[in-house]
Amino acid sequence: MKPIDYGTPAVNVEAEVTLEIDGVSVTVPEGTTVMRAAVSAGVMIPKLCATDTLKPFGSCRLCLVEIEGRRGHPASCTTPAEEGMQVTTQTPRLAELRRNIMELYISDHPLDCLTCAANGDCELQTTAGVVGLREVRYGFSGANHFTETVKDDSNPYFSFDPAKCIVCNRCVRACEELQGSFALTISGRGFDSRVTAGQGESFMASECVSCGACVNACPTATLIDKRVVEHGLAEHSISTTCAYCGVGCGLEAEMQGDQVVRMTPSKSTQANEGHACVKGRFAWGYATHPDRITQPMIRADISDPWRQVSWEEALDYAASEFRRIQMEHGQNAIGALVSSRCTNEEDYLVQKLVRTAFGNNNVDTCARVCHSPTGYGLGQTFGTSAGTQTFKSVEQADVIMVIGANPAAAHPVFGSRIRQRVRQGAKLIVIDPRETEMVDAPHAGAHHHLKLRPGTNVALLTALAHVVVVEALLDEAFIESRCESETFAYWQAFVSRQENSPEALSNEIGVSAIELREAARAYAKAGNAAIYYGLGVTEHAQGSTAVIAIANLAMATGNVGREGVGVNPLRGQNNVQGSCDMGSFPHELPGYRHVSDKATRTLFERAWGVNLQSEPGLRIPNMLEAALDGSFLGLYCQGEDPVQSDPNTQHVQAALKSMECVVVQDLFLNETAKYAHIFLPGASFLEKEGTFTNAERRISRVRQVMPPLSGKADWEVTMGLANALGYKMHYNHPTEIMDEIASLTPTFSRVSYEKLDRIGSIQWPCNELAPEGTATMHTEGFVRGKGRFMITQYIPTDEKITPRFPLLLTTGRVLSQYNVGAQTRRTENNRFFPEDLLEIHPQDAEDRGIREGDWVGIQSRSGDTVLRAALTERVQPGICYTTFHFPESGANVITTDNSDWATNCPEYKVTAVQLVRVDQPSVWQQRNTDHDSEQRRLLSGAETR
Amino acid sequence: MSTTLYLPGDANALALGADQVAEAIVNQARQLGIEIRLVRNGSRGLFWLEPLLEVETPKGRIAYGPVDVADVPGLFKAGLVECGDHPRCLGPTEAIPYLARQKRVSMSRVGVVDPRSLEDYLAHGGGEGLMRARSMAADEIVKEVTDSGLRGRGSAAFPTGIKWNTVLNTAADQKYIVCNADEGDSGTFADRLLMEGDPFALFEGMAIAGLAVGASQGYIYVRSEYPHAAAILEHALSRASDWLDGFHIELRKAAGSYVCGEETALLESIEGRRGIVRNKPPLPAIDGLFGKPTVINNVISLISVPDILAKGAAFYHAYGVGRSRGTLPFQLAGNLKYGGLVEVPFGLTLRELLYEFGGGSDSGRPLRAVQVGGPLGAYMPESQFDTPLCYEAFTDVGAVLGHGGIVAFDDTVDMVGQAHYAMKFCAEESCGKCTPCRIGSTRGMEVIEQIRDGDVTQIELLRSLCDTMLDGSMCAMGGMTPYPVLSALNHFAEDFQ
Amino acid sequence: MKYENKPHLDELIKTFRHKPGALLPLLHEIQEAQGYIPTEAVPAIAQGLNLSRAEVHGVISYYHHFRTTEPARNVIRLCRAEACQARGGEALAAHAEVAIEGRDLTLEPVYCLGLCASGPAMQIDETDLHARLSVEKFDALIAGLEGEV
Repeated sequence: MKPIDYGTPAVNVEAEVTLEIDGVSVTVPEGTTVMRAAVSAGVMIPKLCATDTLKPFGSCRLCLVEIEGRRGHPASCTTPAEEGMQVTTQTPRLAELRRNIMELYISDHPLDCLTCAANGDCELQTTAGVVGLREVRYGFSGANHFTETVKDDSNPYFSFDPAKCIVCNRCVRACEELQGSFALTISGRGFDSRVTAGQGESFMASECVSCGACVNACPTATLIDKRVVEHGLAEHSISTTCAYCGVGCGLEAEMQGDQVVRMTPSKSTQANEGHACVKGRFAWGYATHPDRITQPMIRADISDPWRQVSWEEALDYAASEFRRIQMEHGQNAIGALVSSRCTNEEDYLVQKLVRTAFGNNNVDTCARVCHSPTGYGLGQTFGTSAGTQTFKSVEQADVIMVIGANPAAAHPVFGSRIRQRVRQGAKLIVIDPRETEMVDAPHAGAHHHLKLRPGTNVALLTALAHVVVVEALLDEAFIESRCESETFAYWQAFVSRQENSPEALSNEIGVSAIELREAARAYAKAGNAAIYYGLGVTEHAQGSTAVIAIANLAMATGNVGREGVGVNPLRGQNNVQGSCDMGSFPHELPGYRHVSDKATRTLFERAWGVNLQSEPGLRIPNMLEAALDGSFLGLYCQGEDPVQSDPNTQHVQAALKSMECVVVQDLFLNETAKYAHIFLPGASFLEKEGTFTNAERRISRVRQVMPPLSGKADWEVTMGLANALGYKMHYNHPTEIMDEIASLTPTFSRVSYEKLDRIGSIQWPCNELAPEGTATMHTEGFVRGKGRFMITQYIPTDEKITPRFPLLLTTGRVLSQYNVGAQTRRTENNRFFPEDLLEIHPQDAEDRGIREGDWVGIQSRSGDTVLRAALTERVQPGICYTTFHFPESGANVITTDNSDWATNCPEYKVTAVQLVRVDQPSVWQQRNTDHDSEQRRLLSGAETR
Repeated sequence: MSTTLYLPGDANALALGADQVAEAIVNQARQLGIEIRLVRNGSRGLFWLEPLLEVETPKGRIAYGPVDVADVPGLFKAGLVECGDHPRCLGPTEAIPYLARQKRVSMSRVGVVDPRSLEDYLAHGGGEGLMRARSMAADEIVKEVTDSGLRGRGSAAFPTGIKWNTVLNTAADQKYIVCNADEGDSGTFADRLLMEGDPFALFEGMAIAGLAVGASQGYIYVRSEYPHAAAILEHALSRASDWLDGFHIELRKAAGSYVCGEETALLESIEGRRGIVRNKPPLPAIDGLFGKPTVINNVISLISVPDILAKGAAFYHAYGVGRSRGTLPFQLAGNLKYGGLVEVPFGLTLRELLYEFGGGSDSGRPLRAVQVGGPLGAYMPESQFDTPLCYEAFTDVGAVLGHGGIVAFDDTVDMVGQAHYAMKFCAEESCGKCTPCRIGSTRGMEVIEQIRDGDVTQIELLRSLCDTMLDGSMCAMGGMTPYPVLSALNHFAEDFQ
Repeated sequence: MKYENKPHLDELIKTFRHKPGALLPLLHEIQEAQGYIPTEAVPAIAQGLNLSRAEVHGVISYYHHFRTTEPARNVIRLCRAEACQARGGEALAAHAEVAIEGRDLTLEPVYCLGLCASGPAMQIDETDLHARLSVEKFDALIAGLEGEV
């Protein structure tokens, strides 16, 4: 079950050396350790402090070997292999040394193997056997640590038992090298050396972010998964892909029967290379949470109690309602929302259902409200909507620019990669109004933090471009050969204008001209400069413009088309990239091909046997508008929760109320389901086969580890609905759906489950030209041919501060909660973050008499809500910040209808507000609470029926 | 016409009341209206004579000692300044046999010059080496040092020239010169005497090293137990910057960790981390301080450099025997009548040092055991006293010369106790990284306690443990702790029965 | 015990933050000003030097010179190393243990003060050294300390 541990990390160099180990000749890359060389030669050397995810440490002294012509007994984990070296790993002398060293270990270790939770999975136990330890001549009456009884159970997922600790430092090193939190240390020295969290605190009180890297690294039961303690070790494991953020980590689901006992990061998957985070590794308990609804339910009116029905009845009822609505109000009166959490195959089927069975293009996805500007911006400039790099590419970057993103919280495993690179010497530029965890990470702090005013991204990025142009930092050669000369010339003239200079825009942006110039120089002069951005760029009135400005900057400095550079959107949810790829937008068919394109339509019409509309369908906001004016009355919503995630909640609620048939397919009775007429139980990622596509265009397999609790995987439900609507769909397995996608989508043409199972994962485009996939995009030319520069005229948002709304509210995420929280709120992660808080600068708080923990009323032009105050200098004066993980917070009651000019992506990131100290929840919150309890009553009614 | 008096301001003299004596002298002179200039020099290292007062006369410097406050009026009455006769008068300092019989090379200025005065240093031949080095190519400087046969005086005795050559040939935007002044061995004080008595010579040695390898920044890592050395170095540094001309030296205070005398742990400490030993490779000469090529040398090694440059490699090479070239300042400590600093060429026997210089035990009882080379050095019995003082001969008898510290014990010594202390010291100071040292030292104490309590069968286990520590440890801390233990077992077996 | 002089601490951090390997020099300054390094000072140190609290804690706990609790009015460091042992150091240490009882003194072992030819030796507070100690001389010295207040 466990992969081979080579002891020390692989070395990637061309040069090779050949040496002999116990008579076996082996050739390895120069710089490989003797230990790793030995393992690759099939020779296992005993070890405890060495593991191939961490740098060599050399402390356990069990891996000593003899090398011809060298004095003493060098440690094989710290000795580089050399040409012609003659290594002996087994001699009586070495055996004696190893046995005697192990004897010292065991003389300070409890003798409770048989009752120990790690029994059978303990490297100390195994190695003691390997070195043939039979007796401990020192006895056990001497000084020891195993009588220590202070076990730390503070973390909800793992425990720390110092009595079993052998001080190999693997946990400390993992926390430093892999995670970059430096939350662990050794305190004291000599015999008193002890692993310690923080300043000798509990793990929960320390800087620990519960990523589990230390638990993974621990060779004993010192740091151990509590579920393993409860349930024992797994019997088998299944490789699958995490269903949280856009990093798409490979995970090993360790199973007992169909029960998951432990989730561990895969070492072999390129997205995460052995690392994971508190969500992916630990927070999967929601899958079997009692709140799961596993029976289809229907009701005529949202004030009626739910009635549990058979799948057949539910699907027939949905079909008949949809058909009735279309009969009465026209073919375009219904539509669907595609989920960015479901698999590619499922997303493909939903948009296919809409375009075939519904017979319109009324399909949209939540990418609308997060990364639609990426689609537009990168599409216009580069020719396709996707990140240009692999995550690993950042290891080649000299300057890393993070704009409007906080990977430390939202993309933790990639955030750790960035930190690793910064610790190696890369410069980090963070552009964010708030001091995020990326800004002040130990040993990886930002070299430039541009604390801009929310809403001024375009001004800032254009000012950076100005510096690049006027200070002659352009990559002329790249522009000449790779970009359109005319659009470049036009752009160059535009950004050169005095009005676009840092000096001219400094006040508007809220960052000094010097800082802006230095950041621009750092980016432009770096050998390799890479940009990673998030929703802080897209969720603005000028979201698309900002994406374009980023693309301009990268092209102007020649930072596209090779390792270590590029423009990379950090996708919020696990399959945002995939849902976009699969044609979930009203204007695009799979592979980003516009519905107005005749040839494309014909292709799909032949395959699907229907006529397709050539006009784009409705976007989410249009659907809601149409619902309110009575022309849109039926919605099939799969794995989405617009009531909580979309802006201006009250508007969304009103729109749903006015619909006649809302079908919600989800794991739980989410906020939207409380306005639904038909509820179709969804299946978690553990319950189905399929694929996710992460932010680096990497398609990875999702594998079923347990049967669907409802009896159906989501793709089967969509298939059932299509058939009920009279459009025949039949697939035996998602692999057949992928084959159909491949046959219809040029960028997927060579993708197949067989290949995925063989090579692990595939980055699209994967076709005749790139049968194994494409790691870096635009290497020769841009997808659209020549790179296109576009004008990025800064237009301030209408959402301005006024005497009535003097503060700017911006929103974001925390590490332990995910998106609307439907999953993480149903796990122990709530212990880390139990409620949304309003971050406010102490100065602003003082002006309003607000103290830490006070209830604060937040009023905006669209509504008001109440949150608890958290005073912090992470936010600047005049700016406040919150998250939207808890429905009762109503963060989106505040956010407005403003949206991106090109894509309608909501302006979540800028809302003018006023804050007042209050003593009770807002009216909306009270109403919402009543509505919520009423709906729960109607649900419990259903269960007793 | 004022008279110049010299009274050491070094830690040892201070510990013996030098400041009070100085105060008394100044007051007395003022009362008598005698104009004097009192220089607080370094100590000549004749500690049984401290505080040692010297008077500048036309006939040279005349010594009085040991002087205590009560002696002061008498000294003036006896015509101190005209160097009249007095029971404390020792005659011309240089003629004191203990000094006269030495060959002071690296210590030549200690106790002579005013450690606070750059002018005085230059007036006594200081600076010539640096001046010559400035006119030489880097590789010529390295060659000069290599040819001199100078070997690391810290304890490892690695050829200094070879170390420098590696750094010279490793390209880097920044290189460092680090002076290891973490003189932690009990029984040693040569580094301290040099820093407190001739600080500019150390700076000169570092600056020359800088020229030799292409480094512009130096660090002196001095132990926190040496506050006075640190103070004098700081003062001298404030005077030296112009003279050093572009070579910057910064003082870094240690914080009480013996292992930080080990070069890689020392680097970790300067970088602001726990003093944990690093793996080698990479060698500090290639990947050292802050990841840059780094020369790490002991105080004596660096202070020997200016003379080698000024007078030529041959001058230095002329001293010593075999592969142990030059002189070594030995430090006579512990139970000896005449404890102090004795700089002589390699080759003298241990016995000569102990009796002809040390004058035998202070207690008057027979000497029984001598620990040479610090807490990790072997205990040598009377039968080995004729071993010649050079690296090779000591290695042959399973002992180490180390930093030249010699601690003598009389026949009241309990060797089981000393063996136990060796393990205790290791347990106290182990950095805790490698298992043989981290756990072994504590087990060692326990096993020796069992032996002391009469369980002689545990001697076998003790030997086995020593064997494991010797071959299994990462650095000398765990790897050499067995030396004192095994030597006690081997040469003083009767104590263990 | 809290860090009494936060402004002073912030000043120190400002002066040291850009020095390579600033942690030890900074800790020395704090201990010299305060007599020890209060736990409460660690977060600010970590923040200022771009370290984690854990790292700072690990370093403080590694070096025996650093204290995290307020010491007595005077700290007596008595050398316990071989050279002083050879001159009756251990007997003196045994005496010292008893002699300091009831006095406002902290007795710490130190491993060599470099006064090895004149042992037993000790250091009172940071700079006051004494050699060739005897029981009588030791008693007189600590009595003197009491007398000073």
